[in-house]
Amino acid sequence: MAKQTKYANKLVRSGWDYLRRQGFLSFATALVIFIAVVLGTTLMISQGAISFMSEKIKDKIDVSVYFNEQVSKDKILEIRERVAQLPEVKNVDFISSEEAYDAFVKNHEGDTYAQSLEAIGGNPFLPSLVIQTKDPLKYETVSDYFRTDEFKDMVYDINDYRRGFAIERLSSLSSGMERLGIILTVFLSLIAIIVTYNTLRLSIYSRKNEIEIMRLVGAKNSFVRGPFMVQGALCGFFAAVLSFVFFLVIFFVFRSGLESIFMGFNPFNYFISNWWLIFLLQIVIGVGLGLISSFFAVRRYLKD
Amino acid sequence: MIEFENVSKVYYLDFAKEKKTALKDATFKIKDGEFVILCGRSGAGKTTILKLISCEEKPTSGRVFFDKKDLTMVKKSDAHLIREKIGFIFQDFKLLPYKTVLENVAYALEAFDYDENKINDEVRQVVELVGLDKKMDCFPRELSGGEQQRVSIARALIHRPEVILADEPTGNLDPYNTRDIIKILLKINEAGSTVILSTHDKEVVNALKKRVITIDEGRIMRDEEEGVYFL
Repeated sequence: MAKQTKYANKLVRSGWDYLRRQGFLSFATALVIFIAVVLGTTLMISQGAISFMSEKIKDKIDVSVYFNEQVSKDKILEIRERVAQLPEVKNVDFISSEEAYDAFVKNHEGDTYAQSLEAIGGNPFLPSLVIQTKDPLKYETVSDYFRTDEFKDMVYDINDYRRGFAIERLSSLSSGMERLGIILTVFLSLIAIIVTYNTLRLSIYSRKNEIEIMRLVGAKNSFVRGPFMVQGALCGFFAAVLSFVFFLVIFFVFRSGLESIFMGFNPFNYFISNWWLIFLLQIVIGVGLGLISSFFAVRRYLKD
Repeated sequence: MIEFENVSKVYYLDFAKEKKTALKDATFKIKDGEFVILCGRSGAGKTTILKLISCEEKPTSGRVFFDKKDLTMVKKSDAHLIREKIGFIFQDFKLLPYKTVLENVAYALEAFDYDENKINDEVRQVVELVGLDKKMDCFPRELSGGEQQRVSIARALIHRPEVILADEPTGNLDPYNTRDIIKILLKINEAGSTVILSTHDKEVVNALKKRVITIDEGRIMRDEEEGVYFL
């Protein structure tokens, strides 16, 4: 065990020396890995933003059931309790005709709609239940529930026919964003891997004579490969640390602008509350890319 | 003991779609502790012989034995087991550019997993032996050609190999450094190692009065004890 530790120590020391003594080459490699880590981190944060926005879109999808004037508040609240028990239903809100009136006045203060309301006189709004389903596409199940004979005399209108198209559009937009996130992840990850591998391959190609000398002097494959892998891993580690600081600064400086772009999603808060997970991801991407790329880049010179 | 048994080596040049025969039907033996000079023009096949001994190349036909081990059967990944017994000295020195003199010499011992405490002492001794004790922390680019060759020799000696393969070690050196390097090689041989020196330097060949194998266009033309330059 002590012998293996000494051997590993030797490899790490050599790798560290390579990193220091080939400053420019190491810097160039770390820079490329940095770009890959930035891509990976962007994807992770985008996933967070996409799921936030997608949830927000889903929250906007609801079915409103308007009741006739003569249906009492207690009856509607009783129906609300029953509807809330349905497995498809996520949330049910009761909006009284007074609340609907107040909300309308507040939203249209001073405009022509408000003037029209004044002209009508009284409160034309009906009490309603606003129902959100767990799956936005299940709104039909809820509206069908209210179309049964039991509710025939109580329900004035269900707005799903008018909103149906919008619901489907919003729902497909939300799942489209999730799909786009996955496609982007795969595509950008591939680019990151290809670019890093090729950069390391070129840097190791420029040192193939050294590899040949090491072998001629009698070094085993693992003794040749080890320091190159340590150097790659160290480049990846520094790239990860650099990209962590990079995102911290960027998100802090542009936090208000980014929040308005992402419909209220605040990347800085997301970054701070998930910092350890993000840093871990960056270390895994950076060190992983450095290790794997240098392993394969050296391998071609060590084959039979 | 090194033995070549009807060894031929053909290189296939991909781009020119032609082949070049570097060695034709070579047969000879080198006994332990011998000093042998491989003499021939550039491209005659001297380096090919050294590469076959060090498992860098495999023969196209015939067999090469090192301590009775058939080198044609040795895999590239196991070549280090043979190279542990060999010390290399090259015309272009082949030093590791990002390692200091001390680290270049120590590399062979580290590669063979020597005890780290011993490495430092042994390396310092050998570097002093080749007269570079004041340049231990220099990088190869900071040394002259003669100094680089001394580092290369120190590296070849450090693990006390059975055989030293010296491929035109004086090719890039002035007469003063050439004399020094040859003296060192003779000392190594006196200490018991087999030395195989490849050269086309007439002065060196004639001055040494050792066994000379003369090669021309891949064929062994002459093999004489106390031979002279004959081309």
